[in-house]
Amino acid sequence: MPVQETCIRLENVGVTFKSRKGFFRYSKHRALNNVSFEVYRGETLGVIGRNGCGKSTLLKLLSGILKPDEGSIKSYVKHVSLQSLQTGFDSQLSGRNNAILMAMLLGHSKDAAYKALPQILNFSELGNSFEEPVKTYSSGMRARLGFSVSMLMRADVLLVDETLGVGDKSFRIKAEAVISERISSEQTVVFVSHSGEQVKRVCQRAVWLDQGEVIKVGMAEDLVDEYEQYSLGA
Amino acid sequence: MQHKLNNLRFWQLVKVKIQMNLKSEASKHQLNYIWWLLEPALFIAIYYVIFGVFLNARSENFIAFLICGKIPFLWFSRSVTNASSSIMTGTGLMNQIDIPKLFFPLVVIGQDLVKTFFVFMLMLSILWTMGYQPSLAWFAIIPVALMQLLFISSLAIIFASFVPFLPDLRFIVQTFTMLMMFASGIFYNPSQFLIPEHKVLFFFNPLAAAIDMYRDIIMEGLLPNWNQLTILAIGCGLALIVAIFLIRKFDHNYPRLVLQ
Repeated sequence: MPVQETCIRLENVGVTFKSRKGFFRYSKHRALNNVSFEVYRGETLGVIGRNGCGKSTLLKLLSGILKPDEGSIKSYVKHVSLQSLQTGFDSQLSGRNNAILMAMLLGHSKDAAYKALPQILNFSELGNSFEEPVKTYSSGMRARLGFSVSMLMRADVLLVDETLGVGDKSFRIKAEAVISERISSEQTVVFVSHSGEQVKRVCQRAVWLDQGEVIKVGMAEDLVDEYEQYSLGA
Repeated sequence: MQHKLNNLRFWQLVKVKIQMNLKSEASKHQLNYIWWLLEPALFIAIYYVIFGVFLNARSENFIAFLICGKIPFLWFSRSVTNASSSIMTGTGLMNQIDIPKLFFPLVVIGQDLVKTFFVFMLMLSILWTMGYQPSLAWFAIIPVALMQLLFISSLAIIFASFVPFLPDLRFIVQTFTMLMMFASGIFYNPSQFLIPEHKVLFFFNPLAAAIDMYRDIIMEGLLPNWNQLTILAIGCGLALIVAIFLIRKFDHNYPRLVLQ
């Protein structure tokens, strides 16, 4: 394998959440502990683990939403974004206006946002509803809009969470096709899943996460087999 | 990690978000944009009925006096109250996108500023019809309003940055705006009722000073004391810098607070 260029490097990252239990009393929850790995440019990295293993915390760290309590994250890219935006829509505004806002929130300029509008409209299959307020949308339509905006506004690193739904079945097939297209292209993708099969299919390398710790980092094929054996045994 | 938004794009985003929010707010109500003016107009009408009709003894001057106090105060109390919970309402968004949290109070301040512009215009035209002739001195309202904007922004951002840590603070914000209402001489004339020693202290309150200046400008055609205005503007500017520093410092603590 050629020398890899690093996009994001995590070193001994730890995250602890405090939750309020009563009057100035807190309980601590360790979400991630001593996590280290690298994301290389152009690769598709799988993150695999059971529910509650710290996947969503990890995604928030990678997208810069959270800062680690210990260790460091170094990012060598500009745009890291989640594959689908779920909230943040203004339900009074039209799909078009929401798309402009979303694209700008993702860090793109106003011009770029306006330019991408026809593509977003086309891909989201919203048709005339694009001009209607989002409050009239079904949850599937909202999901389509969120997905289309974040897919068409290019990010350097795309974070894909397979647990996030993207609307009805036919749109899901289309969405998966785009994700696979991105995955096979130069796009850097971090793919989070609890299904070993999917990770095996789309990822070259994978990180196995359990109870906030990295069990292993390695080639997806071998790692997934090991993970599945472990899961069955557990 | 660096913020994905550079400065220019950040302000562009704030501007677009303000425009969209105003649009969205207007579409919620039947009379949409008219409400921005109708609401303060109703306030003025109530004062007119109470003080002008029922408490007949008061002169027309007193109604103008009240209007010049109440309208700028409304701007202050709206912005500070709305901005104080702005980060809390932005939690959904900040958990999906890494965004400078200053964005949330700024949008609120900007949104209220646009509305206030129209409300001030309405206030001035009502006062004009009441017989207060516009003069060149009225342009001095602009620097006074800018000072008030600095004051509002600093307080709004300070409250916004602390409320997520201590949600109970919102009750204090309410009490605080109430306190400011009494401490800014809206219903009484501070120059008339205060002893000289207290007066200096009283006008350290930028809101009280601003209201006093608005009255002098509009009702008497007097220019403000520029020294006082400059000192207050510098003070508020420094407070604003501290406020922005605080909100930046806590920037990445806010998304965690949601999980608590």
